[in-house]
Amino acid sequence: MASVSLRNVEKRWGPVVGVARQSLDVGDGEFMVLLGPSGCGKTTTMRMIAGLEDPSDGEIWIGDRDVTELLPRDRDVAMVFQNYGLYPHMTVAQNIGYPLKVRGQPRAERDNAVDEVARKVELLPLLHRRPRELSGGQRQRVALARAIVRRPQVFLMDEPLSNLDAKLRVSMRAEIKHLQHELKITTIYVTHDQIEAMTLAHRVAVMDRGVIQQLDTPEAIYNRPANLFVASFIGSPAMNLLNGALETGDFVAPGIRIAGVGQGSRPAVVLGIRPEDLELCDASEADAVLPVYSFELTGDATLATVAHGEERICARGDRHLRLTFGDTVGLRFARAHCHLFDATTTQRIDGPA
Amino acid sequence: MSAPVRRRRRTRGALTPARCIGIAILVVVWLAPVAWIAATAFKSPAQVLSLNVFFEPTLRNFAIAFGPQYQLGARLLNSLIVTGVTLLVAIPIATASAYALSRYRFPGGSVWSIAILATQFVPAAVIIIPLFVAFRGAGLIDTRAALVIVNLSFVLPYATWMIKGFIDAIPQDMEEAAAIDGASRLRALIDVVVPVIAPGVITAAIFSFVIAWNEFFYALILTRSDATTLPVSLMSARTEQGDAWEIMATIGLVIIGPMLLISRLVQRFFVRGLTAGSVR
Repeated sequence: MASVSLRNVEKRWGPVVGVARQSLDVGDGEFMVLLGPSGCGKTTTMRMIAGLEDPSDGEIWIGDRDVTELLPRDRDVAMVFQNYGLYPHMTVAQNIGYPLKVRGQPRAERDNAVDEVARKVELLPLLHRRPRELSGGQRQRVALARAIVRRPQVFLMDEPLSNLDAKLRVSMRAEIKHLQHELKITTIYVTHDQIEAMTLAHRVAVMDRGVIQQLDTPEAIYNRPANLFVASFIGSPAMNLLNGALETGDFVAPGIRIAGVGQGSRPAVVLGIRPEDLELCDASEADAVLPVYSFELTGDATLATVAHGEERICARGDRHLRLTFGDTVGLRFARAHCHLFDATTTQRIDGPA
Repeated sequence: MSAPVRRRRRTRGALTPARCIGIAILVVVWLAPVAWIAATAFKSPAQVLSLNVFFEPTLRNFAIAFGPQYQLGARLLNSLIVTGVTLLVAIPIATASAYALSRYRFPGGSVWSIAILATQFVPAAVIIIPLFVAFRGAGLIDTRAALVIVNLSFVLPYATWMIKGFIDAIPQDMEEAAAIDGASRLRALIDVVVPVIAPGVITAAIFSFVIAWNEFFYALILTRSDATTLPVSLMSARTEQGDAWEIMATIGLVIIGPMLLISRLVQRFFVRGLTAGSVR
């Protein structure tokens, strides 16, 4: 177990910047998730920690060792790959035992370790099968078992659940979280799935275009997004973003005035509010009255989409709510959950919220 | 284990009548000359040119071919040694260089792999005289070593290219996993890459075997008697007294024999290897 620290690390391919120069510290035993859309540099960052990619600049430390120049095998890390990276010609037991075999552990010890780990991830009855005879979830378990059998200092997981079906993903997610808690091994987990990030992480680093946009706990990322990218990337349905202006503390857009969401006056701001922070109400109590554009029943809620000029605003209403096209509905904005962003810098403006 | 996969393959290749006829025609066209050679090998010289299908088979030709005049036993041994050593040297080296060409970046990019291929565009007739002179200078004329060296010069690039194609096709994940699990590059190559591409390596080995086994031109020029291989020994049946067709057929049969044997043996392994490699 050890902390991981990236110090002024940068990755360039010629003129193309894959990961911009930045630092990142992952604490001992921490579960850190790198979250972002494809091509944001999250996988490259992980591969640099693993030693599969050399940083163009900067240093990588694991515990009190500078591992920047070390080979992957000397870094004492284990990795789970997106498509598992299992050895097709070896049995499950051989796959799991391979890291120990390569490191010259005697056979008896190895077999014990493999059995113990296989029990932990419920693979015991499958030890003599080959990867092609396993389901996706089972293969994923083999990859996990192979990673933990050596008790490495750091776990690296590169979108480990993205090849699984939705149901299995939920149960594997819980399994991974439980394992990490039990083993207390520092874990860095790459995903583009915000639910995985929110549910698994102690802290999340949201990345875009090679730059960490926000590094914080899942709650803080959700409740206080640092900029428009984070605001729009996290949450499903996505946060509503309205263009407007700030006039002495009130947010003003055509047909909408929301009093007391900020301070001072600014010409170009974006107001962000999540669908669940919008209340559907009578016109008399509403901050805005807008026509229904569409509505969807999701089972546990009704999502109402209203039109505000070219913009669409989504509000989450009671599941018994029924709407008709063309009606107008009133929307009330929960003041405490209104986020203001500067429209030009895209950064968060801290108001009283 | 892989039963479902195999079953699917079979049903897809169902034998319709049209298919049967097509296959039968192909078999006749391909096999008739072989059958003719096989028959001739058991005929007496008098029967060779008759078109009679029925004749008294005799082993006389084999006795003569393996006798002092033709020394087929020694020729066979030469062929086996030259081909065997060529493969033993070529296949491991070709695998390693194919891996290097596939996975490492070289200054100049793909120039190297193309250059390797380009060496094969030089016609043998152009280099045979310089080669002869060089080998004579080295005292290697009429030695098996000379033939092994010459065979390597075209088997090695060929096998390298072929194996490289197989390595290019397998994802890098497995090697990266092995690297993190603690394996060196070489160890990962041996433990992970080679088993996965085994069908490809075997295919390359078979083709290399056929090339080396049948190699005629260089062996004809570079050997006289001691190191003569089977294909060259065919020529010894063309004498001033006329062509001994029955002896040529006998030698031909001895040349074909090992190839049939090997292809039969390897085929089973080969099919199993193909299905084993089909893991995503």
